[in-house]
Amino acid sequence: MNPVRRFFRRYVFSTVGLLALLLVTNIAVLVILLGIGEMTGPSDSFQIVDFCAHLTGSGSGWQADRTAVGMLDQNRAWAMILDPAGQVAWEYQLPDDLPRSYTASDIAQFSRWYLEDWPVTVWGLDDGSLAVVGRPKGSMAKYYVSLDRDYYDFLTVLACAIFYANVLLVVVLFIHSARRVEKAMGPILNAIRSLADGKPVRLREDGELAEINASLNRAAAYITRKDNTRAEWIRGISHDIRTPLSVILGYASELEESGELPPWARDQAGAIRRQSEKLTGLVADLNLTTRLEYALRPIDRKKLDGVEIARQAVTEVLNDGLADCYSLTFTEAEPGRHLPVAGDPALLDRMLSNLLRNCIRHNPGGCQMTVTVAPAPAGGCIFVIADDGCGVSPSQLRTLNRGAPLASTQPSDPAGVAEHGLGLRIVRQIVRAHRGRLAFANTVPHGLTVTIWIGEP
Amino acid sequence: MNEDKTILIVDDEAELLEMVRGIFVRAGYGRVITAGTGPEALALCAAHRPDLVILDVMMPGMDGFAVLRELRRTSSVPVLMLTARSEAEDKFTGFESGADDYLAKPFLPRELLFRVQAILRRTSPDTGHRVQLAAAEVDIENAAVHRGETTFPLTAKELQLFRKLYENAGRIVTTGALCETVCGPVWQGYESTLATHIRHLREKIEANPSRPVSIVTVKGLGYRLDLPDSKGAAR
Repeated sequence: MNPVRRFFRRYVFSTVGLLALLLVTNIAVLVILLGIGEMTGPSDSFQIVDFCAHLTGSGSGWQADRTAVGMLDQNRAWAMILDPAGQVAWEYQLPDDLPRSYTASDIAQFSRWYLEDWPVTVWGLDDGSLAVVGRPKGSMAKYYVSLDRDYYDFLTVLACAIFYANVLLVVVLFIHSARRVEKAMGPILNAIRSLADGKPVRLREDGELAEINASLNRAAAYITRKDNTRAEWIRGISHDIRTPLSVILGYASELEESGELPPWARDQAGAIRRQSEKLTGLVADLNLTTRLEYALRPIDRKKLDGVEIARQAVTEVLNDGLADCYSLTFTEAEPGRHLPVAGDPALLDRMLSNLLRNCIRHNPGGCQMTVTVAPAPAGGCIFVIADDGCGVSPSQLRTLNRGAPLASTQPSDPAGVAEHGLGLRIVRQIVRAHRGRLAFANTVPHGLTVTIWIGEP
Repeated sequence: MNEDKTILIVDDEAELLEMVRGIFVRAGYGRVITAGTGPEALALCAAHRPDLVILDVMMPGMDGFAVLRELRRTSSVPVLMLTARSEAEDKFTGFESGADDYLAKPFLPRELLFRVQAILRRTSPDTGHRVQLAAAEVDIENAAVHRGETTFPLTAKELQLFRKLYENAGRIVTTGALCETVCGPVWQGYESTLATHIRHLREKIEANPSRPVSIVTVKGLGYRLDLPDSKGAAR
């Protein structure tokens, strides 16, 4: 999946998750608080039922003990007991302006609402009397709700529906908003990704993010210009160096083979020829590595036979001539089986050729080289290039597997093992361009084994 | 063998021109002429009808590709492009324009000579049509093998395979390359048929086909044609 889409998908999921967490937390807090309230009782410790428990008497003779009076005083409340006839049978701190006799209608009204603006609570006593406690005006809010059952059910369902609809709306609006941000940011993030991959970038310079797009376009143009200049410079240098090098190589070669020159002069001409050949290889490597680095060389990816690719690379090395101290064998893990790979034939050939020539270069005393091709379990082809030469130290092996070049300054380097040329760098670039894998290991008992996996078409 | 050959070398670099001219003169080529520009090359081509042209690509004015295209309108003379431009696209352009071979600078004189000889062998009507092997002589022109008093005809595929091996005499030619010669790019699955063709060829050209000395099997890789004078050219 596109990393930008993946990022925004994760962003949406994480935010929806956070919203859900917030909701669950709120519900949990509410439940906990209600639970605590249930356990500790209402914040108002003065309950009429508690007050009534401290009343004694009946009919017109009632007494309140000290606790009951203390409760009233503490809450600046007053109280009265109405006998079944509606007459005040007992009172405490009852305001003077309140009547001392009440009809059933009066009682029905104030039991639900207020008694002359005094918020009151009532409690029925055993003998049919009614205890009434009044609190200070404005200290309580009383609401009386009476609904038709169907309407109440409808309201409950409606409240739930509105709640869930709101949650859904929040999620939908958020996703919509994230999509808008993604739409605006997506091209920018893709452009940054393209820049990192060295690909050209061109964003539309309009909308709210026009300034950022313009900055990215400028950065891309700058990087492209810089890369092109560098690549052109190297290409130009390598081109310009070729013709003089041809003359040097040509004359040195002619002098080396000339019978009219003394042996020492022919040896010197031979040295010039060999060094010119090295320069030739370096110029070609420099050119190729630059073109691969800046993606100037198009990868001509075709369906190929991995076995034939390896066969050709081995054949080229053999055809170019191999000193007697070297031997090169080619092995198929499954003889006769074709191993299809997707790749650029010239580059894959170069990759194997570079590795074989590395074996030769780093083992001047000679070695046995083996090229093995095998089918990969996940498809594609595995190329194994092994030699029984001097190999590399464990630290160098780690360096190689990390993808770093071998530094010639390492004191532990055996002579000649350090990476001088661009051969291995080119191998890595080719493997990377084919999205393959490269691994180095020591051959037992000695030598180096390079394993490369290239995928199938 | 090369005394009667005319080679035209075209390059705007005078020193390189002189060096390449020296290579061919010392190799015994009878007539080596040089040109520094495209128009001059076309004029010399028309006047001397060379057997082969060695042509640089990057020249001021008319470049090598333009010269080649112009040349191909009137002539089929073999052309070897010799150039500092070594990228694959340049080679493709060269071959598309009608080049017979492409050699990137810098080059070894010997490689240039080998390539020129190979082109001449392929293209000259009077050379290479009879190939002397250890036990037989192959008449490429008439698709026949003469061994002792007996003449064996070659089938079209055997001839194709032999030509491929002969063009690379002394060098290993992979199984895939030989199959491709006969079948084209989609050759997979043809290996066993190739082995049959090679066996039939050996029966015609070898004194003892079970111990071949001309068409040698290189295990796992392919085959190599060893000419009596090219033995040991490659291991």
